[in-house]
Amino acid sequence: MAGQAVAARGPWRRLVPVPLWEQPRRLQHEWRPSPSDQPIQMENPYKEPPKKCVLCGISVDYKNVQLLSQFVSPHTGCIYGRHITGLCNKKQKEITKAIKRAHVFGFMPVMFKDPSFLTDPKICNVKYPE
Amino acid sequence: MPRYELALILKAMQRPETAAVLKRTVEALMERGAIVRNLENLGERSLPYKISKHKERHRRGGYFLIDLEGPPSIVSTMMDHLGRDIDVIRRAFIKHPVSKTEECSGIIPVNYEDKLIAKKK
Repeated sequence: MAGQAVAARGPWRRLVPVPLWEQPRRLQHEWRPSPSDQPIQMENPYKEPPKKCVLCGISVDYKNVQLLSQFVSPHTGCIYGRHITGLCNKKQKEITKAIKRAHVFGFMPVMFKDPSFLTDPKICNVKYPE
Repeated sequence: MPRYELALILKAMQRPETAAVLKRTVEALMERGAIVRNLENLGERSLPYKISKHKERHRRGGYFLIDLEGPPSIVSTMMDHLGRDIDVIRRAFIKHPVSKTEECSGIIPVNYEDKLIAKKK
């Protein structure tokens, strides 16, 4: 009865603290770090959303010549490369295929850019040699 | 579901003649077992370049778009048929573009170093 009352008070506190050699020790090869200290494995919460190219979410069609003409040189009618347009792989391929189709089907001029689209806003960062 | 799209460029003609050409084209399509869904007129505009067809040099043309559903055998027969029509400047069959704005996940940075090192099997 007295023992039960003693146990109810709380964890047993010794008069002399436990010496180092009597503390519970684990073998070095079996040592497991205490779980509370280690960092929790999680995905980077500060990750930025992936960058989107200009045409992300816009469907490319061979019929809208205005959109296709924005990726074509005004002087020669050449299709600009990926390093100039800044498009992702998928969209660059789609644009190229659509431009080629528009050329063959007779929707878009080949050797130059349609004059009515010359004043369109510039998407590609073309650098002409000095 | 629309299976094919026929982009047609017709000679710049008066309205009744254009109507006659379109009528016989659609009839030819229906004869071969196609279902014509829609016929759009994209207007009469000047061609992007001069096209010589059937011993004539064309500068203007009427653009038409027909979406139809039909058997795959229709493509070669119709291209043949339209090639013999004098009023048709250019014809083109395409699989109907299923216009759906796919969720573009954005530009994923490619790890070029991993590609350089040959993978040991």
